[in-house]
Amino acid sequence: MSRALFRSSLPELRSFSAARLRPTAAVLPFSWAATTTTRSFNSTAPIVEPVSVNNNAPNPTASQVRPLALKKSHPGAPPAPIADSVKNLLPFLAAQPGHYITVHIHGFPYLVQEGDQIRLPFRMPGVLPGDVLRFNRASVIGSRDYTMKGAPHIDERVFECRATVLGVESEPLRIKIKKKRRQRRKRQAKSKHRYTILRVSELNIKNLEEATE
Amino acid sequence: MSFFRITLHRSSIGLPERTRGVLNALGLRRRGRTVFHPVSPQFAGMIFKVKELVRVEEVDKALTKREFKASRTPDPGFYVEKARTRVDMGAGRQT
Repeated sequence: MSRALFRSSLPELRSFSAARLRPTAAVLPFSWAATTTTRSFNSTAPIVEPVSVNNNAPNPTASQVRPLALKKSHPGAPPAPIADSVKNLLPFLAAQPGHYITVHIHGFPYLVQEGDQIRLPFRMPGVLPGDVLRFNRASVIGSRDYTMKGAPHIDERVFECRATVLGVESEPLRIKIKKKRRQRRKRQAKSKHRYTILRVSELNIKNLEEATE
Repeated sequence: MSFFRITLHRSSIGLPERTRGVLNALGLRRRGRTVFHPVSPQFAGMIFKVKELVRVEEVDKALTKREFKASRTPDPGFYVEKARTRVDMGAGRQT
């Protein structure tokens, strides 16, 4: 391999090494020193060497330029293994019908079932009616007989929960009368909050083959 | 290099001017404020002066304001998996 490398390396390197590096050949790596001493580089005839027998198929794209950035510079962390207790007990939970889940949206818990409607206490920015949201933070999943608690959160590979944005609701206009003492002037402060409405469209407990893949 | 992570736990209301000056010098202007200072005798002395008011931890790295905010902000807990097709707002009407 080193021979092939050196043969493909430039001829000026050869002359350079022959002319300048001959006295310091002792510090070179062994293969380089061997090639420089066994071959004569001042002849212009190409050196024909027995090509080592290579069973690999020729690379069809050898002549093409290789792209520089094929590898990800920061590959994601490998998925954490699922705990044994989850592996053993999750099928019991998944086998039961009718699950509930406590999803956490911006840190606040919402205990919902499939088909439930949530009125968030805020207007969610950047979503429109019809968007599908996927929840990935949950602390509790349960059924009639079983409950799975996260510490503090459940692995998001275990469940699949989606919600559809239904729209925006608003509260009735609040009017607060502001008045300073000993003055007849009154000022009205008005507010009308908007709330995003979601419907939990899907809640599935995944089985282990789906969860680990 | 390690840092003191100092949080003002008790208010400085009603305390002598010297004590409030020390808190100001540490950058603790209000209750619950957290600051990071390098571990050094100067800062250790200041912390000793107000040791009844603050809670101190030693940490490896000082967080910037943004990192500190991010460390206290909970995860959104959702992402938009399938967004409906957006229509240009300039067209005047959203469908």
